[in-house]
Amino acid sequence: MELAYHAADRRTVLRYLGAAGWTPDEATTSLLDEAETLLRRAATPRGVWRALPPQALDLREAGTDLARHLQGCDGLVLMAVTMGSGADALIRRLELSDIALGAAVDATASAAMEGLCDDVEAEARRWAQSQGLWLTGRYSPGYGDCPLTLQHDLCLALDTVRGLGLAVTPQHLLTPRKSVTAILGTADHPVTGARAGCNHCLLRETCAYRKRGMTCDD
Amino acid sequence: MTIEEIFARRRFVFLDGGLGTQLQKRGLQPGQKPELAAFLMPDTLEAIHREYAAAGADILYANTFGANEQKLAGTGYTAADTIAASIACARRAAQPYGALVALDIGPLGELLAPTGTLSFEEAYARFAAIVQAGVQAGADLVVIETMTDLYELKAAVLAAKENSTLPVLASMSFESRGRTFTGCTVESFGVTAAGLGVDAVGINCSLGPDEILPFAKRLCRVVPAGMPVFVKPNAGLPNPDGSYDLTADGFVEQMLPYAASGISMVGGCCGTTPEYIRKLRAAFAELTPAQKVPLRRSRLCTPVRCVEVEGITVVGERINPTGKKRLQQALREGDSGYACAQAVAQAEAGAQVLDVNAGLPGIDEAATLEMLVRELQAVTDLPLQLDSNDPAALERALRIYNGKPIVNSVNGEEKSLKAILPLCKKYGAAVVGLCLDENGIPKTAEGRFGVAKKIVAATDAAGIPREDVYIDCLTLTVSAEQASAAETLKAMELCKRELGVRTVLGVSNISFGLPCRGYMNTTFLTLAMQAGLDLAIMNPNTPEMMAAVRAFRVLTCQDAQCADYVRAYAGQQTQTVQTVKAAPAAATPAASEPSGNEDPLADAVRRGLKKEARAAAEQALLSREPLDVVNLSLIPALDTVGDGFEKGTLFLPQLLQAATAAQAAFDVIKTAIANSGQQSVSKGKIVLATVKGDIHDIGKNIVRVVLENYGYEVTDLGRDVDPMRVVQAVQETGAPLVGLSALMTTTVPSMQATIEELHKAKLPCKVMVGGAVLTPSFAQQIGADFYARDAKASADYAKQLFETR
Repeated sequence: MELAYHAADRRTVLRYLGAAGWTPDEATTSLLDEAETLLRRAATPRGVWRALPPQALDLREAGTDLARHLQGCDGLVLMAVTMGSGADALIRRLELSDIALGAAVDATASAAMEGLCDDVEAEARRWAQSQGLWLTGRYSPGYGDCPLTLQHDLCLALDTVRGLGLAVTPQHLLTPRKSVTAILGTADHPVTGARAGCNHCLLRETCAYRKRGMTCDD
Repeated sequence: MTIEEIFARRRFVFLDGGLGTQLQKRGLQPGQKPELAAFLMPDTLEAIHREYAAAGADILYANTFGANEQKLAGTGYTAADTIAASIACARRAAQPYGALVALDIGPLGELLAPTGTLSFEEAYARFAAIVQAGVQAGADLVVIETMTDLYELKAAVLAAKENSTLPVLASMSFESRGRTFTGCTVESFGVTAAGLGVDAVGINCSLGPDEILPFAKRLCRVVPAGMPVFVKPNAGLPNPDGSYDLTADGFVEQMLPYAASGISMVGGCCGTTPEYIRKLRAAFAELTPAQKVPLRRSRLCTPVRCVEVEGITVVGERINPTGKKRLQQALREGDSGYACAQAVAQAEAGAQVLDVNAGLPGIDEAATLEMLVRELQAVTDLPLQLDSNDPAALERALRIYNGKPIVNSVNGEEKSLKAILPLCKKYGAAVVGLCLDENGIPKTAEGRFGVAKKIVAATDAAGIPREDVYIDCLTLTVSAEQASAAETLKAMELCKRELGVRTVLGVSNISFGLPCRGYMNTTFLTLAMQAGLDLAIMNPNTPEMMAAVRAFRVLTCQDAQCADYVRAYAGQQTQTVQTVKAAPAAATPAASEPSGNEDPLADAVRRGLKKEARAAAEQALLSREPLDVVNLSLIPALDTVGDGFEKGTLFLPQLLQAATAAQAAFDVIKTAIANSGQQSVSKGKIVLATVKGDIHDIGKNIVRVVLENYGYEVTDLGRDVDPMRVVQAVQETGAPLVGLSALMTTTVPSMQATIEELHKAKLPCKVMVGGAVLTPSFAQQIGADFYARDAKASADYAKQLFETR
């Protein structure tokens, strides 16, 4: 389905630009404004979600973190969201003519993906509520010990090539670049799921956020 | 019955309905691959086909939509076996009814570069294997369907036509905004597919009949009169759970308006069943398809932009190395970045088509033209004019071009016409014909018209429609042949009136050898526009020439309400016509506060002001040597910003804005150096790449800009780069430093493999690595010499390395 463009959260944009917590100067503010305008014009956000039985996705090789996240669940909600290939093209073009603007659009697009995912998740949540079901949070391949290889089956189950124009590369990356997939669990009792958290993160030794006593989720 | 007989019947042709949705309904389990239905549930599959044939479908799509080696990997079945079994199954069902069986080809399931990593050639090879299997299995025709990427469609069509003699039907899926997911327009699809010589074009899936109707009408307008157009809509729009609500009767009711639309083949896609096709046939069987009324226009296109050459159309001439030292240098170094930046700049200045020429002594023209086309179409959505008279170079460029280009050029010589026109026909390109032949350029208008007639006879014979032929009556230098300008204009008028072709001129040739060339160019352009010029090959960065074009459009009612003119000039205080070369803009815009700094260039860079930095560089070069400007203004300014970034007083966005400003200044300096014939400012050579499999390259691109700003000569290999390509580049350039980036944990092994190959080749280069998942210890572990935590660190390492050498 087509999604309405979701304005990016500025604090998140700045965090992606390595300037977390900074109050941007005037030039940077207008740079980010322009980035948002250009992105809004180039973006064609699309999303899909499906409630499926657990056997719809083979999770035997998907690691222990995801299993923990889905503990107590007896159904799955799978979702995929993409900003569309126009955003990729815009960033490619800007990287040639104005790298600052290119990086700003890149970060803005990443941040805006959060909002788009929230919108799709909200719809799934409304459905769950209408069914008297509880839903965990989102969990994406690549978190914790959950391998990116899961992208292939996940996208196949959602038929993302036909539905969104979203495909997985042989190296398990999503294309267009600004795309997200996620897995949520459903249950007939309250569940919240368990994000991988820092203890399971591959970057825990080097993470700049942890050094500052924060997490990337703050 | 053959497809020709079916098409010749002057009644509607019926296609089948949904197959995947029927398989699901009849027992295909989630997780089971529908491609394997011929093995998993052969009776069910045959029953569905049979029901469609019984319902009246003339053509059955075999269950081969996703039957390729990649999707079938690990299933124990080969694509060829699956295709053979699927076609045999459809054939058993079709036989009693005399229906035809189509090899059905859907998208490969991976995105092509530049959005994805699949190359055009690899896509072609995969499609070719499918087509060969389909031919082997006895398919009656090939259907390419549900495509959303025009480039993938082109690979499939070429594969079908080069590996079989079967008729080819091609259809794409559009979203409600009238574009595919990749932004391809209905017109671009129709123009490109028809140009490639498919037998019918259509629209399928994604939407219901109501939503597709306007797009189907648009498609009918852009394809030739004799080409059938078909639709296979879904049973309405899907519900969130993937089900469809539109009933068979509702579907047929929505289909009825198609009878008068010019469409001649109908069927259904997802959610439709044999009942839908039976009712569709009942409603359409007695109807005669309405005649299509195509709008014969001259069109050029890329996937996202279809340019109709109606009225004066500007072709940017800047990507042509003749007389442009900076571009010559870039092409010799195999660097496409400069040409790409020129493309973006010309598009911003108002060009609608871009000429691309790679003819430069000492370089491989065919390889360079192909490389330029590949890189340019990744960054611009303007159609390209492929400028060469070498058939080999043209074929390579035409093959990989995504859309409908124009070939520049053929001339009246037999040899040229024979070698190049068949290529234009095969790849569906428009063509420029120069009014000269073995006897040279005729002096008179009548003489040139005579050559034009000969060219048009040849294009007619080759099957190229007149609207795709652009005659160049040739601009001669007025200082040498003063009377010739009038002859050129007269010949143009003759060609337009008598031959019904388009015209094109390289406008700026008029003023060679004269001062204030802009005056001459603009006046000649104006006369030529009045004489009916369609394509003006010119420099769109020349303000007075673009002003003449925009004014002409207003005066000839092509620019309704002066909208474009006002948009272009509303902000300008005065209309100063500048001569020869734009003077440096004033370096004191209102936005910047006076700083009292002695060095306006350094100041502009530090503050990240792009325009001001460019102007200050131009100013500085009037009195200082280029190297001096780099070493004493640019680099110190970058150092100041870099130090601030390191200390945490400045942030990445500020560093990047400074880098962008420095880049603009550097651009001016590099052009000045190239034009003066001096040695380049290179402080050393560096090869950069984002490793194989990784497509996240913004970090690498930031590093490139920063290194270039420090005066290093960077060979940027792009992203998803094969290890051996890096080795080759280091061998060719002798670069003592290589920078590799990888963002994902899954692609770090490629980084390691690249470093191993560099070591194996015993290259004395150092390797620096960077990317989100890397750490100093990880970098050491995979054999890198240096871990660069950011762009600044990579510049520091480069400095240290090159200074100690």
